[in-house]
Amino acid sequence: MIELIEVTKQFDAIKAVDAVSIKVYPGRICGFLGPNGAGKTTSIRMLMNIIHPDSGTILFNGSVERPPAYQIGYLPEERGLYQKISIFETLQYFAHLRNVQDAHRKIKEHLQRFGLGDRHQSKVSELSKGNQQKLQFINTILHNPQYVVLDEPFSGLDPVNQLLLKEILEEMKQAGKTIIFSSHQMDQVERICDDVALIDQGRLVLAGNLDDIKKDHGNTQLQIIPENASDLEHEFFQSQASEIRSGSAYFNLIGNNKSKLIDQANKKFDLRTVRVAEPGLEEIFIHLVKGNQV
Amino acid sequence: MNFLKIAWFEYHRRIRSKWFIIGTFGMPLLILGISLVTGYFAGSGAGLETKHFGLIDETGYYGSQLSQALDLRYADREFAPLDIAVSVGEFEKLQSQFDALVIDKTLEGYFVIGADFDRKPAVRLYARNSSNFRLTEVVEAELKDILIQNRASGLNLSNETLAELFFDIDVDYYDIGAVEERESDELIADYIAPFIFMFLLFLGIFTGGQLLLRAVLEERSSRVIEVLLSTVSYNDLMGGKILGLGLLGLTQSAIYLIVGLLAGNYYGLSLITPTIGALYFVYFILGYLLYAGIYIGVGALFDSEQEAQQAIQIITFIAIIPMVLWTVVIENPNSPLVNGLSYFPLVTPFFMMIKIAVGETTLLQVILTILLMIISVYGSIRLAAKVFRTGILLYGKRITLPEIIRWIRA
Repeated sequence: MIELIEVTKQFDAIKAVDAVSIKVYPGRICGFLGPNGAGKTTSIRMLMNIIHPDSGTILFNGSVERPPAYQIGYLPEERGLYQKISIFETLQYFAHLRNVQDAHRKIKEHLQRFGLGDRHQSKVSELSKGNQQKLQFINTILHNPQYVVLDEPFSGLDPVNQLLLKEILEEMKQAGKTIIFSSHQMDQVERICDDVALIDQGRLVLAGNLDDIKKDHGNTQLQIIPENASDLEHEFFQSQASEIRSGSAYFNLIGNNKSKLIDQANKKFDLRTVRVAEPGLEEIFIHLVKGNQV
Repeated sequence: MNFLKIAWFEYHRRIRSKWFIIGTFGMPLLILGISLVTGYFAGSGAGLETKHFGLIDETGYYGSQLSQALDLRYADREFAPLDIAVSVGEFEKLQSQFDALVIDKTLEGYFVIGADFDRKPAVRLYARNSSNFRLTEVVEAELKDILIQNRASGLNLSNETLAELFFDIDVDYYDIGAVEERESDELIADYIAPFIFMFLLFLGIFTGGQLLLRAVLEERSSRVIEVLLSTVSYNDLMGGKILGLGLLGLTQSAIYLIVGLLAGNYYGLSLITPTIGALYFVYFILGYLLYAGIYIGVGALFDSEQEAQQAIQIITFIAIIPMVLWTVVIENPNSPLVNGLSYFPLVTPFFMMIKIAVGETTLLQVILTILLMIISVYGSIRLAAKVFRTGILLYGKRITLPEIIRWIRA
């Protein structure tokens, strides 16, 4: 488990991270969410011991002692590799720094899995951008780390490799790894993460189990699309819908009004679509952040 | 232990690179080649031209004497820098004719020896420009000899007495307590060897420094730095680089010194004594570490190699001082200027290396400069560590001097 307790970091006049507390559990994927410049990367760099917090505590499995390098896999957002050495040498060097046993075999296996098996002698500079991304990811997980921190891991990957990466994330989760997944793309986080931590302007806006958050903060809405858009002018929609936009009327569901609303609408109008819309993380986030600014 | 792994990585991947091999073995070959080629041209006179002068001789005697003397002077050379065409006659009558020859560039200029030269030994030179003073010094010296000999012969002295009056002196060089005269190539070696030691030191320190700068910039611009820093500490990363690339510079120096030693032995010259060799490595290590701090600090501040190189130029400009002043140091190793500069840490290793090779320093001076260097190295590396720690992760941001000062104070 990783715990951040009241962690604060200030750069000059700007509080990049302001009293943030987050818990990340083993066997779960925790999404760090927030717009660019929210403080995600600074938080991660403090976790990685690259910069030190001004105050607050970071615990790994309850200890302030930082785990050894071989227990940590970090894929930074700003990432790259030595360009002039071969793929094999690159992985070998990092494996050596992390005291990986049987590195030769592990490197070959990973390269094979990512479809780079026949290119281990190629120089890094000869690889396409997507392949360099794969190599960086291999370098993050080759040593089978207990703590995995991935900052925007999907950027630059094609759909096939995105799928492979998701598969591997799932495997690592099953193996009980503690995983942090940072992104500003809400839909990705929604699909992959078990827990989320929303950060904005250095402050933790929201943290917890993704399903609970949706339940607590989201408005489940009923969306009705009539065949004739002109029907939306009718008094029924105008008086009862909470929002009318782009050919749809949205109704807030209060108590058990769902079937009543559908019945009424069905009798009065010719309907094309009726659906219950789950709240998106993005809406919740925008709602919370706007609330923050008021 | 990580810092040894990093050192090995930096050392190993560069020592195999073709540029290191080309640089290490190419540089001495290039220098040797240039000196051979320039030597050949200097000897053959190719690329140089004979300067043609005229001479109006109103005496009808000294002109031809001078011409003969010059022939004798340049007899054993393949190339005569000065050629004088003599016309006997009066200046007034020949003046316009000679002026025309100078104007149409047939002649550089013309000398005039007046009719009363015997009594009033003066020569006039009419020329397009006065850049040929080295050649006119030759004319002055030869005419003086001719005039003295002429006056002496007027005294009706015997040939023996004349021979006693006119002679050349050679200075022969002996080592203290030595019986045999020193050979002229030994004398050249005495002069050149200190320069070579300084030059090798210079080459080694700045090769290492430049590689260090590039290594830091590479990790910064390729963004590999952040993964590295999640794996190893700042100090391991910086220390490993300094050690690895320092060893590379040391390897290069060792190759040169061994080649120098073998070449020296072959020619029977003992250029490198154990003391000089040991002090060479002491000053190499201290000088390298001092500059390593500077190069690492600069590398951590800039995104592009171009910007970093511009910043480092100021430092290189200071370091070039010994390259410019080396003859002064060899000839005046104990002058106040040289002694003063020897305590300026950025150039201490280079000045001291020359002084040690010339044998003009004291044990106290060696100890003091080494202590001074150790203090400077400590300061340089400490400052570099602070700048490196903060600057290395600030990509794409122009860093101001007040910011740097704040980091250093923090």
